[in-house]
Amino acid sequence: MAILTVENITKDYGKIKALKGVSFSVPQGCVFGILGPNGSGKTTLLGIVMNVLKATSGSYQLFDEPANYDHRKKIGTLLETPNFYHYLSAVQNLKITAAIKGLGEDDIEQVLQTVDLLKRKDSPFSTYSLGMKQRLAIGAALLGDPDVLVFDEPTNGLDPVGIAEIRNLIKDLSAKGKTIIMASHLLDEVEKVCTHVAILKQGDLLASGKVKEVFQESDIVQLAAGDNTSLKNILAKMNNYVRIDELNGVIELSYNAGTANLSAINKFCFDNGIVLSHLQLKKSNFESKFLELTN
Amino acid sequence: MGNLLRIEWLKIKNYTAFKVIAIFFIIGIVLINLGTHFIYGKVSANTPAGDLIGAAFNPYSFTSTWQTTSYMSGFLLILPAMLILMLVTNEYTFRTNRQNVIDGWSRGEFISVKLMMAFLFALVSTIVVFVTALSFAAFTNTSFSFNSISHVGYFFLKAITYNMFAVLISVLVKKTGFAIGLFFIYLVGENFISNILDFWSIKLRDDKTMDPGSLGSYLPMNAADGLLTFPDNPLKSFAKGISPTDYKYVVLSFAIFYIVLFIIWSRRKYIKADL
Repeated sequence: MAILTVENITKDYGKIKALKGVSFSVPQGCVFGILGPNGSGKTTLLGIVMNVLKATSGSYQLFDEPANYDHRKKIGTLLETPNFYHYLSAVQNLKITAAIKGLGEDDIEQVLQTVDLLKRKDSPFSTYSLGMKQRLAIGAALLGDPDVLVFDEPTNGLDPVGIAEIRNLIKDLSAKGKTIIMASHLLDEVEKVCTHVAILKQGDLLASGKVKEVFQESDIVQLAAGDNTSLKNILAKMNNYVRIDELNGVIELSYNAGTANLSAINKFCFDNGIVLSHLQLKKSNFESKFLELTN
Repeated sequence: MGNLLRIEWLKIKNYTAFKVIAIFFIIGIVLINLGTHFIYGKVSANTPAGDLIGAAFNPYSFTSTWQTTSYMSGFLLILPAMLILMLVTNEYTFRTNRQNVIDGWSRGEFISVKLMMAFLFALVSTIVVFVTALSFAAFTNTSFSFNSISHVGYFFLKAITYNMFAVLISVLVKKTGFAIGLFFIYLVGENFISNILDFWSIKLRDDKTMDPGSLGSYLPMNAADGLLTFPDNPLKSFAKGISPTDYKYVVLSFAIFYIVLFIIWSRRKYIKADL
């Protein structure tokens, strides 16, 4: 079963196109990361799925059905910012959340314990620090132990200990079989936590699928010669690489991981009358892959 | 709806401004009527106008009490409207209007419970006026009567108009200060235009071209207001000669039309817009 399917969603704000035909599917039980720089449309997309924004076109489904408000009751969501009544305490706020979701008030204490807010449970929300507000929002999402959780930038405003706690919490939830949809601009967060990923850039979906597939490792061979133009012409005859790019006077050949053979390349060039001035093997990592995808 | 209102109550009951405004409103109603009673006593006892009015007229005796209390208390309907402006725009400020929908309310449920709250505030305000009118009249040694109780109904209409208008302005403007500002500017502006229209209405009638009634009373906030008047008395009859003709049922229809308009407009806006 797909927890969430978005089909060709677009969203225009006047002339600005925040989303340009985004489609992907979130399978049950995965930790799905929506990755992209600030302003790439992550929150807009989740806002549409949560019915607080209206898509310009396209459709989406929750639990393989046309989305309705009862679906949202079964999903714990933190969207963009912690949204609470400033003059009410944590407990009073969570009572409202529980009532809207049609839940009892039994697990409020338990949830506050999980996000470490028990000691401040009766203080007004307005007196909380940024990190405490964020933790309360995560707590609210956990009410009723939902099977699906949506976290938009969950570690926003947290200190390093808090960040580690939340990442562990997400891993624990995932281990219990929960489906988690998480938007983040932090590559390393997605790398550490997610099983699936969709990459957004300025409203375009660049890639989506399993993290291992999207961020498949590759070998990158950098080479340069006195005359890069003829080097490129020669390399064009060689066809065992995936892609060729030129960056700052250096030519980069991409190979599937473990398939680049430097001595063969060197020999090929030499046999074709080119002497290389630079030849180097680089392993692409997650980050360079992300930059490669988003640049 | 019961469950939705219960949740709304969770939001309101610990809100300080709610308690403060509720207390001000109730005290205000008692004070404005006590003041009227006092001034009226002074006027009728000590001035030439008093001779005109005559000793027989007491604005707080049965049946005048319903009309006088409704009319005087109507000026305080600004207070519940302000509370509604604050409560609805707060949701935008805290972004809880989004969170409520995210957590599983439909947009229709969110706006419906706000409109229902506006209705209940109007109902409670009306009950306060009813009790006040009854209590004031109890001291006058006149015999109980429900005659003219329709004025309490007009007060209710005015309360609903103000409160629904407050919901609409909040949904359109979203920012607390801006919404409250716009609400008052609109009231003052409409009154100004209404006065010009009334003046024009009298001129039209005097020129014998046509008699459209009090045109100013056909405007949104003046329609319900126009139904609320101070009780007739000899002094007022004196002034009545120059007032526009009073087409009560036309004004009443306009008042109801505007209330329906405010409700439909607020709902459509909330259901269709980005939150």
